[in-house]
Amino acid sequence: MKLNFSRWVAALHLIVFILVSNAIAQEKPFRPKVGEFPPLEKAHSYQGELTFVDHANRRGSIRIDGNGRFRFVAPSPFALLPYGLVRYQGAPADLRDIPLGTVMHVKAFLPPDPKISAVPVLPVDNREKKYGYSGTGVAPAENHVYLLEDEPSHCKRLGLVWRLQEVELKEKAGTIIARREAQADKGKVLSETFSVDATTRFWRGRERLGITDLTDEKTWPKNGKKDLNDQTVFLGISWKPTPGGVFKRFHISDVWLDELAMERAAQIQNETHKAFVKSRWMPGWVDKVEYGKFGRAKVTVTLFGGMDDSLYADFKKGQKAMLASSENTLKHWAGGTAGTAQMASRGILLEISKTNKRAPLGSSGIQVSLETDLVTEGFRPGKVIRIRPESWPLLEVPREEYIHHTLDGIEKRFPTPDIFPKK
Amino acid sequence: MKLNFSRWVAALHLIVFILVSNAIAQEKPFRPKVGEFPPLEKAHSYQGELIFVDHANRRGSIRVKGTGVFRRNDPHPFAMLPYGIVRYHGATADLRDIPLGTVLHVRAFLPPDPTISAVPVLPINNKEKDANHNRGAGIFPAENHVLLLEDESSHCLREGKIWKLMEMEIRNNAGKIVARREPKTGGKVDEETLTFDAATRIWRGRERLDVKDLIAEKIWPTNGKKSLEEQVVQLGITWKPTLGGIFTRFHVSDIWLDDVAMQRAAQNQTETHKIFIRSRWMPAWVDAVEYGKFGRAKITATLFGGMDNSLYADFKKGSGALMAASENTLKHWAGGSAGTSQMASKGLILDVTKADGKVPLGSSGIQIRFETDLITEGIRPARVIRTRPASWPDLHVPREECLQDYKTNHEDRFPTPDIFPKY
Repeated sequence: MKLNFSRWVAALHLIVFILVSNAIAQEKPFRPKVGEFPPLEKAHSYQGELTFVDHANRRGSIRIDGNGRFRFVAPSPFALLPYGLVRYQGAPADLRDIPLGTVMHVKAFLPPDPKISAVPVLPVDNREKKYGYSGTGVAPAENHVYLLEDEPSHCKRLGLVWRLQEVELKEKAGTIIARREAQADKGKVLSETFSVDATTRFWRGRERLGITDLTDEKTWPKNGKKDLNDQTVFLGISWKPTPGGVFKRFHISDVWLDELAMERAAQIQNETHKAFVKSRWMPGWVDKVEYGKFGRAKVTVTLFGGMDDSLYADFKKGQKAMLASSENTLKHWAGGTAGTAQMASRGILLEISKTNKRAPLGSSGIQVSLETDLVTEGFRPGKVIRIRPESWPLLEVPREEYIHHTLDGIEKRFPTPDIFPKK
Repeated sequence: MKLNFSRWVAALHLIVFILVSNAIAQEKPFRPKVGEFPPLEKAHSYQGELIFVDHANRRGSIRVKGTGVFRRNDPHPFAMLPYGIVRYHGATADLRDIPLGTVLHVRAFLPPDPTISAVPVLPINNKEKDANHNRGAGIFPAENHVLLLEDESSHCLREGKIWKLMEMEIRNNAGKIVARREPKTGGKVDEETLTFDAATRIWRGRERLDVKDLIAEKIWPTNGKKSLEEQVVQLGITWKPTLGGIFTRFHVSDIWLDDVAMQRAAQNQTETHKIFIRSRWMPAWVDAVEYGKFGRAKITATLFGGMDNSLYADFKKGSGALMAASENTLKHWAGGSAGTSQMASKGLILDVTKADGKVPLGSSGIQIRFETDLITEGIRPARVIRTRPASWPDLHVPREECLQDYKTNHEDRFPTPDIFPKY
């Protein structure tokens, strides 16, 4: 009887503990912390159409698919986390590379620090709110983006492919029924109907074709239906107004008909991004500062992730490098006439290390230590920096991408959400 | 003697008249008038890099090329005139179609009505001011209301110009090209040095190539210089940070090696814009309203210019049509759940006429006469409207492109310049 009573007391404690833990979990939703890369699994996922871009501040707006009437949905502002990744056509990208209208997959978190959010701060449970005909989940509070990727990038990352089932055409436009599924095994299958038209680009090897090329070759019919026999492709997806009271139907902007065509697209995007990062320097954050005397210090930084491997390989032990303060927007600091280089600390790369563990998404897993004789205020643990090895060309960024030390005010460091229209 | 005196008096009067006229002309610079398409010859011309786009309000920012250090030039806000035309790849476009970074040719005017300008209103002589900081003059012109915005290939095709490639120098898949832009039929020659890199797209017939492909085909060398023997091409031009303290050097984003390649690009853009206009309706303004009884009226409207001819051909005498109020931003008015159609006046096209002779750039020269039994407040002489023949699909525009009848405030109709950062 006593034993039973002890058991009951223990069980009661356990129940109380679980309830309290749940309550605490509900009270304290997950937010990324400064100096820690958040786990991708904790991100909120959604999908939508890119409708606005402010690339200089790494933010924009997206019309989120909430299972309502898509066209009613007001664009929802988002900001990229400093270590947030953009991917386009299977390669790393900057926001400026993504055409407006592209449908993107999003993995996002609550603002790490709501006080300095560059986009509106919304109630934590906003993703559960229904916005009339627009549907539910169209304005989530999780608007700080970890991963923003277009359809082919999403499919490549997850090993998915699209299989074309059937096309129906009339006067160079129509619909396609397609299934998205795992390349390796059937797994979970998503079946969707898309629109296609005379603007849809078809990529085959080195060729860019249009619908009329396919109909001229008799690959597709000019009018009527055709079974496409599960043809495996990658799709680029956008949105256009849809006839017939359809709540939401996405549009196929691009079809990559073979692997070679997809690789060539990724290659061009990769080269675009490599040239971009070389001119804007590699972003990272400070892990540790070991202060010496007379302004000397050893600064250890983690390079942000998602870049082409060749960029990381340019950081070599013993080589000269430059390290400069940055901000959450990844903007540069500039002064004088020589831009970032004039404000940067010069030094030698003492150590380069790569973690053996699986690095979280925003991190490259690569740490570099630089010794400089001019440590500046911007190099504090958790602060965002830009770093370049000496082998990269010394280029200067344009006006909107840097904060001028004397001309610019606090709103350039911490842009406010004021530019976004009120809903 | 008396005659001579009269002559002197007359001459004196003439001199005074000329001086006064000049003074008046200086005091009253040219501004487009409501209800009149301004002559292209009176526009101020400049060139620059597209930095920011707010396509829903038909405005953006451009880094204007002056005589100084290009990268230092603050992005300069511009607004499209309601009848302003955008052209990309030799075809009509919307602002959303132009990738950020594209270098554009601009023909612009002073704000027609400064009190409702969607971009900052600047002193009239601003284009003559030296912007200091080695930026030179002309980078902030007050002429920021755009009649024509066109990329390099559109500009060359419109003016009958071509680029001739003279010489190239390459190393690691990147380098410089010396090229000359000149009229096909001979005339003034502009020689320029441009950069290219591994991300430059090269179009040949239906193929999209890159620098590596041309090297593999031994058309371009792997390293070193090569004469290109005045090869005739069309170029797409952007800007990237430039090495070596060069003030301005543009970058080649695209090379069209032959007419077929250029025509295919233009065809794709034409189809994009045709579908866009069918879904957004044809913009126009009202020339006259003849009021009848019980809300009945006959409206004469001039369709705006620059569209594909097939769109104008859809306006046929005797066919049904819809006409709806719009704004200078070309936004729609929407109400209820059926969008613009619910707010539009329905009726018949009584007549379609085409003006003889040369038509000013913003106009199509086509007038339609339309009779409705529901004349509304927005349909007044000189007001901007949207109209569509009944044969076009009944599509609904997305949220940011319409003004909701009961939710819209003054700022939505007349967007203020507040979103543009001050540098």
